Amino acid sequence: MSTQDKVKINKLPTGVPGLDEIVGGGLPEFSFNIIAGAPGSGKTTLAHQFVFANATPERPALYFTVLGESAIKMLRYQQQYTFFDPAMLPGSIRFINLSQVVLEQDLGAVLAEITKEVERANPAVVVVDSFRTMVRKPESQMDLQSFIQRLALFLASWQATTFLIGEYAEEELRDNPIFTVADGLIWLRQTAERNSIVRKLQVIKLRGQDSVPGLHTFRITDAGVQAFSRTFGLISRKRNPPSGRRLSFGVPELDRMLDGGVREGDSVLVAGSSGTGKSVLATQFISEGIRNGEPGIVAVFEERPEAYAERATSLGLDLETPQKDGKLTILYLRPLDLSVDETMQSILDAVQKIGAKRLVIDSLAGFEMALSPGFRADFRESLYRMIFALTGIGVTILSTVEVDESFTEFPFSTYSISFLTDDIIRLRYVSIDGQLRKIMVVIKMRGGNHAKDIREYEITSKGVVILGKRLANYQGLISGIPVHTGRPDSTEEPADDTGIDHKT
Amino acid sequence: MRDLAHRLLTYEAGAGETPELADRATLRVYEKLRHSLSAFAGVAAFESLAFRALTQAKSEAPGLWSAQVAADGTLQGLGEFESQMDMDKYLAVEFSADDGGIVLIARLLGLLRIFLGEAITLSLLRNAWPGEAFDDRN
Repeated sequence: MSTQDKVKINKLPTGVPGLDEIVGGGLPEFSFNIIAGAPGSGKTTLAHQFVFANATPERPALYFTVLGESAIKMLRYQQQYTFFDPAMLPGSIRFINLSQVVLEQDLGAVLAEITKEVERANPAVVVVDSFRTMVRKPESQMDLQSFIQRLALFLASWQATTFLIGEYAEEELRDNPIFTVADGLIWLRQTAERNSIVRKLQVIKLRGQDSVPGLHTFRITDAGVQAFSRTFGLISRKRNPPSGRRLSFGVPELDRMLDGGVREGDSVLVAGSSGTGKSVLATQFISEGIRNGEPGIVAVFEERPEAYAERATSLGLDLETPQKDGKLTILYLRPLDLSVDETMQSILDAVQKIGAKRLVIDSLAGFEMALSPGFRADFRESLYRMIFALTGIGVTILSTVEVDESFTEFPFSTYSISFLTDDIIRLRYVSIDGQLRKIMVVIKMRGGNHAKDIREYEITSKGVVILGKRLANYQGLISGIPVHTGRPDSTEEPADDTGIDHKT
Repeated sequence: MRDLAHRLLTYEAGAGETPELADRATLRVYEKLRHSLSAFAGVAAFESLAFRALTQAKSEAPGLWSAQVAADGTLQGLGEFESQMDMDKYLAVEFSADDGGIVLIARLLGLLRIFLGEAITLSLLRNAWPGEAFDDRN
């Protein structure tokens, strides 16, 4: 059988931002699906979003309510969501209450009632909410199995895409016949993690489609359910081959230390303790990009965008104009209750919106603190996925990270994330001649040459300025307490060093 | 809501070709709402709303004292009230503020608007009275 002979299964939009990507492009038409989860996990809202995205006057949606939440109260709350369009009721979306039949008759009568309504309306979408209350007390397991089988067959024959909503426990997955019959099974979970609620969904089963495995974060906002794919929607994007182009930092001496600048598509980590100028360097990096026609994103967590832009102004860097011109977005991601994937999706959306080529995350410590406690365990993994996804499409990322200054060791990061980065620039304080001065060194540059010089720098009104001489007459600089060697100060041109291959 | 209730009663009164049919306008409006809402939200939900509406309406229209909402949501005892009314009023389609029928229907519509909002309430009415044009100003 050739590919042309195979039946084509249409994919219906879920109406849930992010979920189409997770289910492999949309839900299969005519599929028989279950949305399961605990009370309050968003099952009904998700079903409503699908209904509002797919119902038409010609092929309406039938929404059967059973016991539990009445349609009046359900609609009272659901209409608060932005996706809810009252004009679609009752022409395109019809609510039908089955509680009387369920209470007074058996499953056969329920099936007959559903059949009657489906035959009358010829719906494209059928929802039974909550299916669990309908079959809570079947006369026997066989009755239930037979009922589900007949319902699934009937609704598929009528070319309806069906959702049964139920409050199921995960232990039921093995034994409940409904899960065998279903083509699709979406499980919504919410758990309390310290003071935060963590919501995650999983596509446990979806026949005929390649869904993204694993647990995906979701959030319920005014717009309804929004899902955040673990692959950030970039699963199908082709990775760009490395361009080999070098991007300037806006600090000429640092560019020389990096053998011409940061390689496009690299992930750069700037590590240092408080006050060493990490943010200043990051601002210079983003400003230089804008000057060269490369739009940028700055994700800040510890201060407001206005304050960030004001600080840049004090360094002679204009971040206001490029923001107005759509060349720069400063994202302030509100702290304390974010999920990693949600935060990263915001960054990705901003990157894609303005076609950003450079991204600054300032800082990773602030980023982690902005997350709800339950998501902090996933921080490294999610960061890895985002960096991999973004650098793959040619975005160059600069992250800052604060490290505790130690005079016995020289840590690059407290996060053990150096494996995520291609290049590491370390800033630190040193005590020299009774002064607390600052030094900079390129620790790592994956697959490229870099200088091994330890350079002194200052933060001036023009930003980070690397001083002219490398500190050749001190030993133990990286300890922070160097010892003068007694040799005269070096007058070597530091750039000479960049010719030496120090691949790491 | 009183204007809207008036319109529905007028519509149903006009639909009756004889005075005998016209005098049942309140019941006909109520029954159409009952059928529409029971199918949509369930008998129990309609019965609760109707009971509440009737309780409110009785305080404004003492003539409704004998009316009751049954468990299946039907309105009982309204005939006694309607039989006491001046049939000429129905024929002339002149409902006064203290007419029990208009008060009851207005209260029921008011509750629907409180719970469902204007847009969905009007959608439900359009479904129950397909021939009648409703606009959001009512």
